[in-house]
Amino acid sequence: MSGFFSQAQQLQAPDVAYQAVLPMLLVLGAACVSVLFEAFLPRERRWGWQVALTVVTLAGAAISLIVYGNDAPKAGVKTFSDVLTIDRPTLFLWGTLLLLAFGAVLLIADRSVEPGGAFVAQAAIRPGTLQDRVQAAKVGMQTEVFPLTLFALGGMMVFCAANDLLTMFVALEVLSLPLYLMAGLARRRRLLSQEAAVKYFLLGAFASAFFLYGIALLYGYAGSVKLADIATAAAGTNRSDTLLFAGMGLLVVGLLFKASVGPFHTWTPDVYQGSPTPVTAFMAACTKVAAFGGILRVLMGAFASTNWEWRGVLWGVAIASMAIGAVLGLTQTDVKRMIAYSSVAHAGFLLVGSIALTSKGVSGTLFYLLAYGLTTVATFGIVSLVRDADGEASHLSQWAGLAKRSPIVAGVFTFLLLALAGIPLTSGFVGKFVVFSAALQSGMAPLVVVALVFSAVAAFFYLRVIVLMYFSEPAADGPTVTVPGAFTTMAITIGALATLVLGVFPSFALDWAGAGGFTF
Amino acid sequence: MTGAELVFVPLGAVALGSSVLVVTTDQLVRAALWLVVALGALAGCFLLLAAELVAWVQVLIYVGAVVVLLLFGIMLTRAPIGRSVDLDSGNRVAALVVALGTAGTLVTVVVGGFRTASIDLGDGSAGSAGTVGAGLFRYWVLPFELLSVLLLAALVGAIVLSRRDIGPRARDGGED
Amino acid sequence: MTPSYYLLLSAVLFSLGAVGVLVRRNAVVVFMCVELMLNAVNLSLVTFARINGSLDGQVMAFFVMVVAAAEVVVGLAIIMSIFRTRRSASVDDSNLLKY
Repeated sequence: MSGFFSQAQQLQAPDVAYQAVLPMLLVLGAACVSVLFEAFLPRERRWGWQVALTVVTLAGAAISLIVYGNDAPKAGVKTFSDVLTIDRPTLFLWGTLLLLAFGAVLLIADRSVEPGGAFVAQAAIRPGTLQDRVQAAKVGMQTEVFPLTLFALGGMMVFCAANDLLTMFVALEVLSLPLYLMAGLARRRRLLSQEAAVKYFLLGAFASAFFLYGIALLYGYAGSVKLADIATAAAGTNRSDTLLFAGMGLLVVGLLFKASVGPFHTWTPDVYQGSPTPVTAFMAACTKVAAFGGILRVLMGAFASTNWEWRGVLWGVAIASMAIGAVLGLTQTDVKRMIAYSSVAHAGFLLVGSIALTSKGVSGTLFYLLAYGLTTVATFGIVSLVRDADGEASHLSQWAGLAKRSPIVAGVFTFLLLALAGIPLTSGFVGKFVVFSAALQSGMAPLVVVALVFSAVAAFFYLRVIVLMYFSEPAADGPTVTVPGAFTTMAITIGALATLVLGVFPSFALDWAGAGGFTF
Repeated sequence: MTGAELVFVPLGAVALGSSVLVVTTDQLVRAALWLVVALGALAGCFLLLAAELVAWVQVLIYVGAVVVLLLFGIMLTRAPIGRSVDLDSGNRVAALVVALGTAGTLVTVVVGGFRTASIDLGDGSAGSAGTVGAGLFRYWVLPFELLSVLLLAALVGAIVLSRRDIGPRARDGGED
Repeated sequence: MTPSYYLLLSAVLFSLGAVGVLVRRNAVVVFMCVELMLNAVNLSLVTFARINGSLDGQVMAFFVMVVAAAEVVVGLAIIMSIFRTRRSASVDDSNLLKY
């Protein structure tokens, strides 16, 4: 008993650099407040309060991030007993996440495109029943989406700042579980949406088991889960290196799954297609940022010294991902599936930057994430506008001749597709340029050549859509283009403008992305 | 053979055998019940490794809560209680290849890496609630708090998906 | 005693769980197999904690259990919702749950 008390006195609370972690605390705190809103506000007032709270939170977190970032120590700060590292890449990733989440929240909050919003009014009502048809016409929505979004965002922020594998694992689950749930909440095509949720969930749980076994093996190898300790152990130890590489392999498989890098992408097309479009936008933009933030940190922090052993394997993975995305993307007939395969191809390009393992590689990948995320949010915003009586008209044939119905929407969509293809004067071009030049500098010329070939192949399927929109005759009973309300307009405008600005004047964002390296 | 090994061999055999049954049995409910046996045997292994707290949490959370929830899941989905013929999918061969690959790699890696390592089981206090708790709250405070956030999110999500007619019924037009 | 028996058991259980996930068609059973995999990981973690003489492995095992509990809650809610749909509405015969 006396031992217990002496221990209780010794137990010191860890130091917390509150100012540095304030953005994360704000997001997680607001998520809890948002749950209280759900519990105590009458249903018809929840939407307004939730939207206000979420937007204010994101803005507040962004402001506190900027204030802190202005005079943050260049070397970074470790806090919470060193489980979090707030260094320059963390700040950049947090800023990117907050910005992209803002865009996604605007899409989530929109109630003009689909009356009542893209989310189901009561998820527990069975699809296909009379009640379900009643609720499809009803204005309410399941406003729990807002706290779930904030929870997921908080998880992402912790994930890309985590300095050890245990924190990373818990953060991975915090970001994943809300996404599994949100995937199943679509108002229309509910069965598809629920199937997407089940598939995402089961495959996600399977992947986290692999991630976890990887952690266990690395822990066995290094005796610690801190990235820096693993790096030290890898530099000199008498234990077998096979243990290190087996652990790393399993860990990286889990990460690649989340980042939807092929061949671990199998969930991506189904889940992107089945989820409500705003959730797809959130998932496509923010999850990718968080996952690649994690990949960068793990590769740089724990495995940089052994890179000649594993780099070849990740070369293969990057090539496979680009090939799968570019080739299978060509065969798709659904817009959302097509963008999903495009995201698989982009994940391959991002991986090229990530395995460069230089400061240029890091800053290039960070810039690419920002550019790609903004373009993606705007793209899904446009996808949500083209509708027929059943909801979104996502079949490609329905997009034929869209330019004749709505020149503006077709024009913006064309611009975004060109950015995804990487045409000059768009952010996509700059992103590819910085990533590929970083890869060239670290001696990966063959990989860059392959990547260029696949960007050309991928460009073809974006062009196919553009040709379809401009040079085909619209079908007589084709879809209509909804005039978006303020929220969706704002999200699309932000995304499209940023795509242009980052394409024409990229230097300021490149400076932020290259302001400093990781600290471990 | 030491005492610990004498206890480990039957425990390991039970864990292994019941896990095989979880994966192969053609009766859903039995799969869940075999899972209980496997998890219980693993709890025994944890005790052998002097991880006292983990062992009891295993019994409480896994055997007590998780499997009960899974059984609820089976019952509520009206799964057949008896034999189900189509419980296995056709990709047995593929699964077998994957499994043998995984098992082969893991076994060589793990056993090769630790053939010479040895552990002494003398110090029984290593895994007591006090020491684990001290470690938890001294170094792992943030993940611990994140866990509470995770549980809250899971709770909210589960309620969203399953609970009907929340709020005033009259205003909803009574369509339920 | 040598710890490799524990690690061996853990590796075998993990592989068994992986086979189950790939072979089984019922979502709930697939999920049980994932739980089996997580437990195998826990066994490894606790064994490594013992070998390394550090507590982190046990703390991690504890974390894994709580995460698994949260996963069960979410997973069953999702699986329930789709079973409800399938039973009530003859919408289509997608083979998702039998993959």
